[in-house]
Amino acid sequence: MTTLTGEPHGVRARPRQAVAGLDWWLLGMTLAVSGFGAFVVRAATESDVASNSGFYFTRQLAFTVVGLVCLFFVLRLNLEDLSRYVWTIYAILVASVGAVLVLGASARGSTRWIDLGPVRLQPSELGKVVIAFVLAVVLVERLKAIEPARLSLMVLGLTMLPAVIVFLQPDLGTALVYVAIAVVMLWVAGQPITHFIVAGAVIVAVAGMILYVLPAAGLNVLQPYQVDRLTSFVDSGGDRTQSGYQLEQSKVAIGSGGAFGKGPSGATQTINDFLPEHHTDFIFAVVAEMFGFLGGGLLIAAYFIIIWRAIVIMRLAPTELERLVAAGIAAMLAFEVFVNIGMNVGIMPITGIPLPFMSYGGSHTLTNLVAVGVLLRIGMRGRAAQAAGAA
Amino acid sequence: MASFAGLAIVLLVVLVVRLWFLQVIGGAGYQERAEANRLRTVITEAPRGAITDRNGKALVTSKEVLNLVAQPQDLVGDAGARTLTRLSAALGHPAGFFAAKVARAQKASPFEAVVLEEDASPQLQAYVEERRAQLPGIELQAAYKREYPNGTMAAHLLGYTGPIPVESARRYRDQGYLGNETVGRAGIESQYEGYLRGIAGRQQVEVDAHGDIVGRGVISQTSPRPGQTLRLSIDLSVQKALERALAREVAAAGTSTGAAGVAIDPKTGAVLAMASLPTFKPDVFESGTPREIQRVLTSPGRPLLDRAIGGEYPAASTFKAITASAALASGLYTAGEQIEAPGSLLLYKTRFRGFNNEAYGPIALPQALEVSSDTFFYTLGDRSYRVPGWPLQEWSKRFGLGQATGIDLTEGESAGLIPDLAYKRQTCDRKVDPINCSWRPGDSINMSIGQGNVLVTPVQMAVAYGAIGNGGKVVTPTLGNAVVDADGRVLRDLLSARATHDLGLPAKDLDQVKQGLKLAANGNGGTSTPVFGGIPSVFKVAGKTGTAENPSKIDHAWFVGYAPADDPSIVVAVVVERGGQGANSAAPAVCVTMAASLGFAESRCGSGAKVN
Repeated sequence: MTTLTGEPHGVRARPRQAVAGLDWWLLGMTLAVSGFGAFVVRAATESDVASNSGFYFTRQLAFTVVGLVCLFFVLRLNLEDLSRYVWTIYAILVASVGAVLVLGASARGSTRWIDLGPVRLQPSELGKVVIAFVLAVVLVERLKAIEPARLSLMVLGLTMLPAVIVFLQPDLGTALVYVAIAVVMLWVAGQPITHFIVAGAVIVAVAGMILYVLPAAGLNVLQPYQVDRLTSFVDSGGDRTQSGYQLEQSKVAIGSGGAFGKGPSGATQTINDFLPEHHTDFIFAVVAEMFGFLGGGLLIAAYFIIIWRAIVIMRLAPTELERLVAAGIAAMLAFEVFVNIGMNVGIMPITGIPLPFMSYGGSHTLTNLVAVGVLLRIGMRGRAAQAAGAA
Repeated sequence: MASFAGLAIVLLVVLVVRLWFLQVIGGAGYQERAEANRLRTVITEAPRGAITDRNGKALVTSKEVLNLVAQPQDLVGDAGARTLTRLSAALGHPAGFFAAKVARAQKASPFEAVVLEEDASPQLQAYVEERRAQLPGIELQAAYKREYPNGTMAAHLLGYTGPIPVESARRYRDQGYLGNETVGRAGIESQYEGYLRGIAGRQQVEVDAHGDIVGRGVISQTSPRPGQTLRLSIDLSVQKALERALAREVAAAGTSTGAAGVAIDPKTGAVLAMASLPTFKPDVFESGTPREIQRVLTSPGRPLLDRAIGGEYPAASTFKAITASAALASGLYTAGEQIEAPGSLLLYKTRFRGFNNEAYGPIALPQALEVSSDTFFYTLGDRSYRVPGWPLQEWSKRFGLGQATGIDLTEGESAGLIPDLAYKRQTCDRKVDPINCSWRPGDSINMSIGQGNVLVTPVQMAVAYGAIGNGGKVVTPTLGNAVVDADGRVLRDLLSARATHDLGLPAKDLDQVKQGLKLAANGNGGTSTPVFGGIPSVFKVAGKTGTAENPSKIDHAWFVGYAPADDPSIVVAVVVERGGQGANSAAPAVCVTMAASLGFAESRCGSGAKVN
């Protein structure tokens, strides 16, 4: 377990060794889906910006390249070293999402970004990986030190602080991802089952309060559009609300794709703009419209491989810290994939969660590639440890 | 950890299964809906055909206008509702006015443009043009509107147009109509809808979510086909004369509640003029206010009733020509026989009084028609009662009474009533008055002078007298003359194939009746000689007055006659409700109408020698 922790500067190896134990399945699938995503973004947005048919495509390619650079940088990132600065990192996370909230409020509107001149950064996205790391450190350090119930509460408390801030931005989807990461990590850390039952009951109660009880008392916690989004999938169909319309158009796009799709130029739901957010939240519907059940099914299979590799890496992880980080990242990917595609096909509420490696967006693309980088490093270290153990 | 992988597998399998249902099982349905999103049909309206008189003078035309319409596809959600509310307020309507209109139209025929205001005023056009950006889904659309250059002239026979009624929406849709089309709803407009209807052009285009045309643009198209021009047999100048004369008589009578007149060419059945009072504005259903429409629909004067074909009146003395024909043909009366015509007649212990109890001594049939002796015809009625069979009923039928004439206004024609035994049995009250359930002598006697239960329409009487004048041919009155092209060339003849049937009255008998009718309008004792006695002899009129007793206490005035008497080219029937004696109010209107048709001076009417 502690084989490699004595190296303060991480693994500095010659190039051949640099890729030893690399999970080619994970990297390959990530690259394939990212490339496919950029292609679909292009096909979906060709006529969206009048003078520049490649506007979104070019930018998405740039995001991906930057993300890949970060990915390879992260391959050398020593999590144990980093864990010394865990509270600083956590403070930066809370401060940056808080700054977004304050700036957004002062700009008299909502925003999710920090404007850095040419680049706009969405700290809450990168926060997904950060929260997984912070929670992993806390769980490892305190697992034996304090009693399980207090630990669970502490982890949830650490999660809820940034989650609530993000929720207030308002960005319900990302806040839910934080919670999902925390829940899965507690589970993987071996916290008692009763905690999850209690947590589940609390979540149901809070959701009921927010959606139904408080509004009835005249207190609206959620924006009307958020309530609409959350509940429209329950009674989809005839309603004329905006999110009901989105969902209907998404289902029409997907359904009309049939078994083999209508091809990039025949996907009228997408290119004639009936399907809103076709390059971001509803990009899966674009894939299904263009490439049919075959394309949609293959994409889901690709995500299965990615999640499967994440779980494999989690099992190989040489330290408890890395195991928990891998679990958090696997949870993040699985949750995002399921909730996003689920909302595209109308079985999950519309929560504004993007589809990993597919949806257009800089911070989000960067975050997912960094996450894959972290997984790849953990996998390499796990394989090295295995080899060392066998030797 | 295995459970983590298991959970991931389950969730992803759920997604795949859902995808299978949406795409493979439900794919066809969603494909249709995607097509409905993408394809939009752009309608180019086609003008409805014009209606002209026999000389090509316009009676109804189509004028191009701009309608304010809403495209429901572009008006979804809150934004759409806001646009409609804003527009309602800007045009001075209650807030939900247009939204309700759109919702109603959408229910009837989804995906079609909804007309908000017809014939937008220049100010409204400017308002919409200036605010195009703020009013997405609202546009001005070229359309056609009916125009009536002669105002209310011939309103009843022309009928009117209007939106497709909700109850027959399906039938029209099956015939290829769009839900928002204007169709003929009454009169000629409805009768000849098939010719007059313009078929809108349809262009199928590909659009994006904002309604802009994209992609391959036009996918398929058909050009609009204008409706065909319909030429009527109406003569506008005769029509004008008839309407003017009727209006004058109604006004002169003071108490009158309405009037109707029909002028027919007795040779062909071509209707030269036809009018009914009170009248209505034919564009009321297209551009009238709800109050105006309500008034037309519910006014006690029943302006929508075409009294010329749908008004049923006691025939009164105009029926004597039919009684005379029946008596001659059945051998109840032989030419030359003189019958005593006292002031009143005691028959079956009942006293039957003649008009004003006037006595004429023994007279023959032509004189009896001339002076309109009631007692002479009571005797004929009595004789008809005593013989086997039903001569009065049979000859009424031969003249076309008691049944629709078959004029090309199928809706709105009444059959009138020729009473017979069956009618009596149906209408009598067996408990109170069982004897009334049989045909009694008094029934025949009253019927002989057109009273009792005899009811006729003006058009029936015109056809019947036309048959006397033209030598025994019962024609089918016909308004449609031909469908013509832009240059007036006949595409389809509507008149010559119309049915006629032979009256079957021997010529010598017919001559007796004609002689009597000529005397009635020209003889020294003729009831209408003061009206017709002074017109040029080449246009000599033959005809009969009638003064119809009715429940209102004030008699309806009748006149039916044809001219020139020996070879008539026009037969006119006029009834003035509560107009008093036929000679006073109905006959002058007939004379004015004949003057316009035959070309003599109107001033000659009423210049005949005063009798007695």
